[in-house]
Amino acid sequence: MVNEAVPAAFSLEWPITQTQLDKIVAAFDAAIDRDLAAQMLTCVHCGLCADSCHYYLTDPRPENIPAHKAEMVAGLYRRNHTLSGRLFPSLNHARPMDAARAAEWIDSLYGRCSLCARCTVNCTVGIGLHQIIRAGRTALAAAGLVPSALQSTVDRAVETGNNMGISRDEWLETIEWLTDELRNETGDPDALLPIDKPDCDYLYAINPREAKFYPLSLLAAGKLFYAAGISWTFASDHYDVTNYGLFSGDNEISGMISGRLQETAARLNAKAIILGECGHGYNANRWEGPEWRGKPHERAEISILEIIQRSIQEGRIVLDPKRHATRVTLHDPCNLVRLGGVIEPQRSILSRAVSEFVEMTPNLEKNFCCGGGGGQLSMTRYADRRILAGRIKADQIAATEAKVVVAPCHNCIDQLSELNRQYKLGVEIKTVTEMVADALVLAPRSAVTSDGGHPR
Amino acid sequence: MTHLDVAGKQLALNEEGFLLDPRIWDHEVALALAKAEEGLEALTAEHWSVIDFIRGHFLEHNMAPMVRAVCKSTGLPLRRIYELFPSGPAKGACKLAGLPKPDGCV
Repeated sequence: MVNEAVPAAFSLEWPITQTQLDKIVAAFDAAIDRDLAAQMLTCVHCGLCADSCHYYLTDPRPENIPAHKAEMVAGLYRRNHTLSGRLFPSLNHARPMDAARAAEWIDSLYGRCSLCARCTVNCTVGIGLHQIIRAGRTALAAAGLVPSALQSTVDRAVETGNNMGISRDEWLETIEWLTDELRNETGDPDALLPIDKPDCDYLYAINPREAKFYPLSLLAAGKLFYAAGISWTFASDHYDVTNYGLFSGDNEISGMISGRLQETAARLNAKAIILGECGHGYNANRWEGPEWRGKPHERAEISILEIIQRSIQEGRIVLDPKRHATRVTLHDPCNLVRLGGVIEPQRSILSRAVSEFVEMTPNLEKNFCCGGGGGQLSMTRYADRRILAGRIKADQIAATEAKVVVAPCHNCIDQLSELNRQYKLGVEIKTVTEMVADALVLAPRSAVTSDGGHPR
Repeated sequence: MTHLDVAGKQLALNEEGFLLDPRIWDHEVALALAKAEEGLEALTAEHWSVIDFIRGHFLEHNMAPMVRAVCKSTGLPLRRIYELFPSGPAKGACKLAGLPKPDGCV
């Protein structure tokens, strides 16, 4: 049944059928456990989450309030699972699922939230607002209602092994090219970006965006691993650290994608996995992966920032901070810092790699989202909202008067680059790895051991 | 959604300035996109070598090329590509070549 009642304002590219509505309800029930149900019924409507949200702060309308978005989801729960919601739905904001409601869910849950969880840490009663919103996305995903540009990124990863559809030959050719560059930069004809090398300490997973359009960050990582004498390898097949299932809400696909890195590390007998600079990739693989897969990871997963920090602390690499003489600030990617818990390594690294480092305000777990998270960067239809919501971050950057913004997340980097142009910030935007590689003091050739690494 | 005026015709752009119908493209469209989206008043031979290669690759493979392939075919160093297109290879060069927005973190 095609419902004609969808308001024109929602301008859907699809008519929503009754079958899809039934799927939303069934998937929603499956996605809500006791913990989440309790949280949904706990909101005291204090409204403090409003001021925590970059959407609301830049466009103060009710539908941008986090509690409003979560209430929308909770309304379905109350309608179907509480006595008062069944008997007196209008008194309880209890709403059944219909086509108009589904359209509102899509617009709010995908189009007005970057799943940054800033509302969650600011909630006075401890509700996981972003988890409720994602559970709504899970229900929509089951009905095939993920915005098409986000879904196509998920599909591309499922079908080709990486979210940009890079073929094996293209990947290998790029690595070969970067290997030549690495040899030029190090002056060592044996320097290598290894592929499918068995029995290494680490498998290194990257954002395919690096290989496709911005390979200098791969070269930077290769140079760093070379200098630190780290035993590592790329894989020829599954090297993608991203997992857009986290954003679409499809837990089955999320688990499948997350499992690929573990399986690849097992195939190559790598002891552990280094997750490249990708905020959601870190959270999705390190923390959510075991939940989706229903078992602990067989191999440890650690951020490249932890590897760099350790390499500095152990004296395996030497940095010259004078190479970065201008003021540098740091962006905290939500999925890496607030949701991922990787907070200190990037600060410890920058304190050694640059001359002048200043923090943004607020920062750490209170930092504002750049606006590009939650799949926003891929969902073209909400691009205007994304740029508007990013104004908070642009203001934060401008206030530091820094010339360089370091962001340990390629997704954030793309959004920050757009903000840089839109809001005329005039800054350079770099990854931590790039900053470290540029500050690296390479040991003289004579100190290099025969296996291509430096003596430990 | 916005529009791009090219030789008396209006071409629809999506919210990020990519052509809605990537089939309708020629050098005039690229020039108009360069002005409207990249702030480039003129395109040099270097720009055209990049744009034409990306366009050809897209017509053949229905996908944007690796930046490696762009460098190899045009003979331009990587850093030069970033200088030529302020928004980068994806949101700059690919957009001017009339491609749809690539999937992934761009």
